Amino acid sequence: MNFSSKITFAFYGIIVYLLGIAIYQVIRDPGAWAFVILGASATICFWMLGSKLISKKKQTILSRIQATFHRFSFLIEQLVARDFKTKYKRSVLGVFWSFLNPLLMMAVQYFVFVNLMKLRNMGGENPMLDYYAVYLLVGIIIFSGFNDCCNQALRSIVYNASLITKVYVPKVIYPTTKVFSAGINLAFSILPLYIIALINGLVPNFSILLLPLGLLFILVFTIGMGYFLSSSVVFFRDIEFLWGVFSTMWMYATPIIYDIGILPDFIRKLMMLNPLYHYIDFVRYIVILRQVPSAQETMICAAFSLGMFVIGLTIFKKTEDKFIFYI
Amino acid sequence: MDQGIMKEDMIRVENISMHFRLMNDRISSIKEMMTALARRKVKFKEFHALEDVSFTVFRGDVIGIIGHNGAGKSTLLKIISGIMKPSKGRIWRGANIVPMLELGSGFDYDLSGHENIYLNGAILGYSKEFLQSKYNEIVEYSELEPFIHTPLRNYSSGMLMRLAFSIATVVEPEILIVDEVLAVGDERFQEKSKKRMMELMSGGTTVLFVSHNIDQIREMCNRVVWLDHGRVRMIGDADEVCDAYREQFLEQ
Repeated sequence: MNFSSKITFAFYGIIVYLLGIAIYQVIRDPGAWAFVILGASATICFWMLGSKLISKKKQTILSRIQATFHRFSFLIEQLVARDFKTKYKRSVLGVFWSFLNPLLMMAVQYFVFVNLMKLRNMGGENPMLDYYAVYLLVGIIIFSGFNDCCNQALRSIVYNASLITKVYVPKVIYPTTKVFSAGINLAFSILPLYIIALINGLVPNFSILLLPLGLLFILVFTIGMGYFLSSSVVFFRDIEFLWGVFSTMWMYATPIIYDIGILPDFIRKLMMLNPLYHYIDFVRYIVILRQVPSAQETMICAAFSLGMFVIGLTIFKKTEDKFIFYI
Repeated sequence: MDQGIMKEDMIRVENISMHFRLMNDRISSIKEMMTALARRKVKFKEFHALEDVSFTVFRGDVIGIIGHNGAGKSTLLKIISGIMKPSKGRIWRGANIVPMLELGSGFDYDLSGHENIYLNGAILGYSKEFLQSKYNEIVEYSELEPFIHTPLRNYSSGMLMRLAFSIATVVEPEILIVDEVLAVGDERFQEKSKKRMMELMSGGTTVLFVSHNIDQIREMCNRVVWLDHGRVRMIGDADEVCDAYREQFLEQ
């Protein structure tokens, strides 16, 4: 199986997966018309990408993506492998840190907030808080995964300056591979989540099949964010430092350790604008409540992902020709 | 050159101009930008690195590019290889272009020599199959067999250079871009690498070659482009252009 057919395969896999979710939801709850719309529109989107309708040139958008991927697949593979190999190269436990890190973080925070500060059941009413360890772990995994991806992508253009000024490679490859390799880490950390959920008796459960959809939303959002950050940092190096502060702010503005129930009404409304809140809530819904999130929630997540991706890619593409004068 | 044979175009450079905007100070932070904007001090000075440059490269040509420092030679190479987009004009390429990297710029020092051969090869645009088939040749040429699984940070600078050179020159590309002939390592390896470069350049591939060594240009190239302050001063037969270039120097 060659690379471009793998991509086609993945695309159709995603379509079948999305349609399956839509059908499942409708069988469970005939009122979930919005899921049908979501599934249908996703199918139409993929079909249009693959057809010649919305492309002026002879190639379709899908086949152009395929061609680029195919031509540079070996490079992408090498760059991702490099990141992965060098990350744990000189540590004794190596790749196990991908599992251990979120677990240890969770253990520390659990100890601090539950045993030291007696903050169990913050907000009280949310049934998710009954499984506070899982609750924490989901938040930690998603936020640190997101943050890690962004930090890697942020530097990807500037740190590869010596290459960009000497060889022609589509520049979009650098932030994309960084997000991929950090995304692999995120995928690895799903294993400890599964184990903790298993200990708590939350899995195996049918709803866990939706987890990949949640991760896909996060990945697409993060790639968009990575494009935006990596291109803007070329023109303003300050963003590298600003982002450090901003991501800390973002972390506290996201209900990772606390529940949205403890917030005043006004801030709770503002929280609806925080995409990470929606993603974390989406995954918690699946893992802890073992239910399929509402169609509205799913639509919001999908909209944030697509929106960020389109904005990020547009900014990147508009500015990439000027990178060389600033790096 | 036999004029009777139909010559196939490989690269067409059509009326290329490259203008840089030089600010009085490069602004690289938001604060600086704000204060500069507030004081209305952002002045741009246009710098014309290239001005209306056109020429055509045919298959099998070895083109030399000469000119004083700052004449626009490197800018021209960067535009031809696609790293920069020209401000004006068009460029047409008939084949993939392999740049001769400044040696070792794609290395990762935590990885072994073996891993770096694949990484650096991928950056240069080689395929996996190609690298697999050439792997032994690269290792043998670099004379690094005993150390190939050692991380690069433990290599000496001479070893690094040998590895980089061996990876860069294993290709037989259709268009090769060479910014000065590279000779690396100890005296014996320098001879070896020089010979390899000459072999590559005379092996029928199309070469774009920048050098300050006029004798080397005369020896290697069949045609020469002389750039002067971003404009083409002269294009033509290597000996002719080189003589004119020399003469101008003597006059000064």
